[in-house]
Amino acid sequence: MPLDVDVEVRRGDRTIAVAFAVDDGETVALVGRNGAGKTTALEAIAGIAVVTGRVDLDGRSLVSLPPEGRGIGVAFQDGMLFPKLSVLENVAFPLRAGGVGREEARTRARERLAELAPDVDPGARPATLSGGERQRVALARALAAEPKVLLLDEPFAAVDAEAKPELRAMLRRTLASFNGPRVLVTHDPVEAMTLADRLVLLEDGRVTQTGTPDEVRRHPATRYAAEFVGTNLFQGELVPDDAGVGLLRTGGGELTVVWPEGLPRVPVADVRATLSPAEIALHTEEPHGSPRNVFRGAVEEVAAVGGRARIRLRTTPPLVAELTTGSVDRLGIVAGRDVWASCKAVEIRLMVPGEEPDTL
Amino acid sequence: MHRRLPPLSIVLGAIGAAFVALPVLGLALRAPWGRIVEILTGPGAGTALQLSLEVSLLATLCSVVFGVPLAWILARGTFRGRATLRALVILPLVLPPVVAGVGLLEALGRSGVVGSWLERIVGIQLTFHTAGAVVAATFVSIPLVVLSAEAGFRSLDPRFEHAAAVLGAKPGYTLRRVILPMVGPQLVAGAVLAWARALGEFGATITFAGNLEGRTQTVPLAVFQRLQTDREGAIALSLVLVAVSICVLVALRDRITGTG
Repeated sequence: MPLDVDVEVRRGDRTIAVAFAVDDGETVALVGRNGAGKTTALEAIAGIAVVTGRVDLDGRSLVSLPPEGRGIGVAFQDGMLFPKLSVLENVAFPLRAGGVGREEARTRARERLAELAPDVDPGARPATLSGGERQRVALARALAAEPKVLLLDEPFAAVDAEAKPELRAMLRRTLASFNGPRVLVTHDPVEAMTLADRLVLLEDGRVTQTGTPDEVRRHPATRYAAEFVGTNLFQGELVPDDAGVGLLRTGGGELTVVWPEGLPRVPVADVRATLSPAEIALHTEEPHGSPRNVFRGAVEEVAAVGGRARIRLRTTPPLVAELTTGSVDRLGIVAGRDVWASCKAVEIRLMVPGEEPDTL
Repeated sequence: MHRRLPPLSIVLGAIGAAFVALPVLGLALRAPWGRIVEILTGPGAGTALQLSLEVSLLATLCSVVFGVPLAWILARGTFRGRATLRALVILPLVLPPVVAGVGLLEALGRSGVVGSWLERIVGIQLTFHTAGAVVAATFVSIPLVVLSAEAGFRSLDPRFEHAAAVLGAKPGYTLRRVILPMVGPQLVAGAVLAWARALGEFGATITFAGNLEGRTQTVPLAVFQRLQTDREGAIALSLVLVAVSICVLVALRDRITGTG
């Protein structure tokens, strides 16, 4: 692929080893928790971090090139606009550094700004801009010298919630019109799922999963991947139980599941299962009736997103449920309260090693 | 809130303040105010003032030209012996100036390690020459520029340098367009302190460059010489240095007094 990365970076006493590739016109989101190695991976591509391994662009090795010789555009976290230069001088900076004459650089910078940050005064100092405006100027600056690769580092980190949708729309347009490989570093699921064609999940300095947002949602490889795409993930030994059902014994609790059709009724190790948070029902009294899976535990956290609330439960195993905010209010679900969570066995989707993944 | 202070600390503090204020007061009380303009524009004093201005400004320029890159190396370099280099650069701050003068003489004087070579090959003689006075003043003032600039460089987020490099800027361009503008205030403060130090330089100058009127006799040297023969002239010239010192304090008041 045009951008091919396979690098190791030493950071103190740990090593970050990351490998992924990005096609022309493709947006890959590097996602992971703080400290997972996302920014380090980006610095490896940009040439800021010292790496061993491979960073190839269109078959040409970049590893031995200094950052200024790589032709990579980066919109840094918080913008990193130069405080003593005006907005226009900031955007003209990569052009001037590359030897473009003063007037031409200013003209081109002005055009870029008109396109990406029309509301920003080109003569203003960066300190007077809002987070969203800074990010727009940073994007204009990253694109000014027409780089071959575009890297965006946490573009929404310093942006107000109300300014995010508009910035996201602008980023979508900008990414779509950029023809080279595009890399987005983020820890935000919404950004990653809405802007990226493919996700590369990093955990503790390693790539743990690569796939389209949909693939990761259906088959999250790790607990983090499941949390990232908003799914419950379980992993453990599957043992036969009553006719047609089995027990998934995870490290922290058991779940009753439907025994996969055609699978010999013998214990299977290392089975993973997902459960959509929307399939979990919450009760304030012990439920009676059909559900096989009932778990009691305290509410750890209630986070409202739009009209829906994600509820983190301290059950065994730990669960994330999703309810409408109306239901949350009606049931009186607040952090600290003891509740019962239930789900039907058929809603738990199993992924048995060696078997075709269960695609619904 | 009113807080009562221990009486003893008030007494000792008052003595300390008087101790600092009295010499300045003494100069002001004994100054020949009626003739001060006449004295300062007179032949000897005028020459010394003009020479001092030249020497101190040239020394400041040299301190900035060599001190700022040195500060950059100390702030961002990763090499063995960096701590030693920093200690060496700061040494002139604590070294007795007369010792600095002797050192300069042995290094750059006519028979010095480098000085003899300078005279033979390049034809430059620093001793008894204005250039020598500049060298002596630079020696004592360069640490002030280095310390101030290095503190400025260290306070900068290195990600600005990374950003500039990724955007295609070579290190020199980054330093000029991004870094130096951001540390401007610290550079100015360092330069002003260096200039004040250069203006008052005495020991190293008289030891290394000598005391030649019109060539190496700066204001402090002129004050010293006049003390025996022309006390009023010495006081008048001293007052000029007091005035300059007060101006420097006012210019850097936020930085030095810490009162914002």
